[in-house]
Amino acid sequence: MPPFRVTQSTISANVLAGLQTNLERMQGIQNRLSSGKQLNRPSDSPSGVLDAMGYRANLRRLDQYTRNADDGLGWLGTADQSLTSSLDLVRRARDLMVGAGNAGLSQESRDAMASELDSIRASLLSVANTRYGDRPIFAGTSAVTDAYTAAGAYQGDAGAVERSVGQGARVTVNLTGPEVFGPAAGGGPSIFDVLATAATDLRSGNPVQLANVTSADLSALDGWRTRIQDQLSVVGARYNRIETMRTRADDSTSTISQRLSDVEDVDLPKAVTELQMQQVAYQAALAASARVVQPSLVDFLR
Amino acid sequence: MSTFSSLGTALSALYAQQHGMDLTGQNVANANTDGYSRQRVRLEAMGGVAGPQIFTRSMQPGAGVKVVDFQRIRDAFLEQRALTEQSSTTALQAGQTALSRIELSFSEPGPNGLQSQLSEFWGSWDDLANRPGDVGARSQVVERAQTLVQGFNRAAGDLVSLRNSLTDQLRSRVDEINAQAGRIAELNNSIQSSVQAGLSPNELLDQRDQLINQLSNLVGISTRDGAAGTVDVFVGGSALVRGPNTETLGVTTDAQGNATVMWNRLGVRADLAGGGEAGGLQNAINTTIPTYQSRLDALANQLRDAVNTQHQAGDDLVAGQPTDPFFTGSGAAGLAVNPTIVADPNRVAAAAAGAGALDSANALAMAGLGDGVGSPDAVYRALISDLGADAQRVNRQADIQSQIASQVDAARKAQSSVNLDEEMTNMIAYQHAYDAAAKFMTAVDQTLDTLIHMGVVGR
Repeated sequence: MPPFRVTQSTISANVLAGLQTNLERMQGIQNRLSSGKQLNRPSDSPSGVLDAMGYRANLRRLDQYTRNADDGLGWLGTADQSLTSSLDLVRRARDLMVGAGNAGLSQESRDAMASELDSIRASLLSVANTRYGDRPIFAGTSAVTDAYTAAGAYQGDAGAVERSVGQGARVTVNLTGPEVFGPAAGGGPSIFDVLATAATDLRSGNPVQLANVTSADLSALDGWRTRIQDQLSVVGARYNRIETMRTRADDSTSTISQRLSDVEDVDLPKAVTELQMQQVAYQAALAASARVVQPSLVDFLR
Repeated sequence: MSTFSSLGTALSALYAQQHGMDLTGQNVANANTDGYSRQRVRLEAMGGVAGPQIFTRSMQPGAGVKVVDFQRIRDAFLEQRALTEQSSTTALQAGQTALSRIELSFSEPGPNGLQSQLSEFWGSWDDLANRPGDVGARSQVVERAQTLVQGFNRAAGDLVSLRNSLTDQLRSRVDEINAQAGRIAELNNSIQSSVQAGLSPNELLDQRDQLINQLSNLVGISTRDGAAGTVDVFVGGSALVRGPNTETLGVTTDAQGNATVMWNRLGVRADLAGGGEAGGLQNAINTTIPTYQSRLDALANQLRDAVNTQHQAGDDLVAGQPTDPFFTGSGAAGLAVNPTIVADPNRVAAAAAGAGALDSANALAMAGLGDGVGSPDAVYRALISDLGADAQRVNRQADIQSQIASQVDAARKAQSSVNLDEEMTNMIAYQHAYDAAAKFMTAVDQTLDTLIHMGVVGR
């Protein structure tokens, strides 16, 4: 660069430009400090903004997964309770039926047993019609009010209720009535039919039918009991899976929040240090400018 | 050599030094005047005999000093360079302003941008999947969709109004260019007359240079010296000012909203490749903004098609009619939620086709549309990232360019601005020369005195 002539106006122009640059930098740091954000517009850091937007979308998605999981846990929790109380009811029915084999029983006692079996059947029906929110949980995806009619006929469908609890992870949170209480898809009696048959057999007074109560009817009931136990473990497994996914979503939420903050928020100690350095630079520039407006030859002429 | 010629020499010296001092005064007076170029008095020694001839030889010193002219000191090449750099700077600054306003209209990253509205829209489908029979959840899907659509409409509207306001700005800049060109032509005229009258037009030249300088901020120009002190100004090779005459520029717009700067008389496009604010604005109006407009439109259409395809694959709660498309309209400005669905949220299709009424497979599939590569969300994020990169690039270019421009400006000023020390030094030199010339005159006077009174000797 050729040596420039230096004149008063070039000096003052340079000094002004320098001070302006200093002030601009200071304003930038102060903006960041006062907004608490280092990304205020896409051009501040295109890749940072891309990350920040991705993280934000992720956080919303994770929040949604958590809500879905909570809802799914509600469904499965309700199913778990229903199945547990069904097992209790089935156990009582079984005890009654086993007791009915006693030859010394009078027909009156058998009738009483039959009535109790009827009431167990009614309780079991109401368990099968359990609702979560306003939906019967064993009715699949159909919009009926009750999963089973009072006669024990299934009104729902075989649809699966799914909750999405993670990227590409959908968990079925319902069991349909036939899976738990029957009637099975291929036909055959439901658990309600089994209980009704047993009650009828007890009331009949016919020795052949009475014998059925402790043999055919009992083994049919045992079949359903095993079925309910199996389904209970299915529910447990699904519950665990959702809980795991939920915990994972919570973990990811805190990790991603941290990353979002790293990308988006101001690093306070760093920004404050920068501000101080910039202030020192600005003061130095001011001091220098004060000296630049120096005496000229004019001061030394008479 | 005549007896009194020495007095003439002394007088010429007094005049010359006086001019020098006057000019120093003028320079000092204008030390802070914008656009003023320092001036120097050009002196020349006056010779004795005009031409040597055989019989008129005489030993004779010169006949003093004469003022040739007042010279403006400036570097013509640096001036030209400054014009170019200034035009590039203002062009980039215009682009920078446009991009930063585009950035504002997307308001990213933040809770009010389209990204969060997209997320909320997808989230509402998940909520619907949890409660497919709930009218509240259905209405929420519709509400969120309307918010999203408004977000698209608003962004599109912002871009259109930005484009219109830049077009207005371009018009007013073109008016300024015409006015400025008119003033330059007038000055050309005055300069021409004063040059022809043999006067010094230095101050007029300064004024004209400053106008040209200001004009270069508005539009990329080049200049060429014309006859008799005039200067011709060219925009993209065509003359805007030629001597005392000017051409005018105008702005025409077409149906797509493009704005073109035209030569009014010739009816052809003006070449604004040289930059200037007008060049920058024209580029922003015709290139930068339309790029983002079309990308936003494409995104809106992609979203519409993806959502409609998924929606129509499912079943709504209203029996006996095919599922409606969810979005209608085209482009970011035209996008709307299907009014039929707004009127009856039961027409939102949450269930898979043929499944039970409370099935939510379709809603779940819909909620997943926002994930993954190539999803509307990813496309939108790429758009914002590209916008950021564009704006960052132009910001940097503008920073660098304005530094270059200020360096060139400093170099130019260093040539033409007044240095007080130098002026003082000159003043002392002129003052001493004046003193000396006066002394010389006294000496000649005394010599003559001696000569005149010589007669009394021997009387």
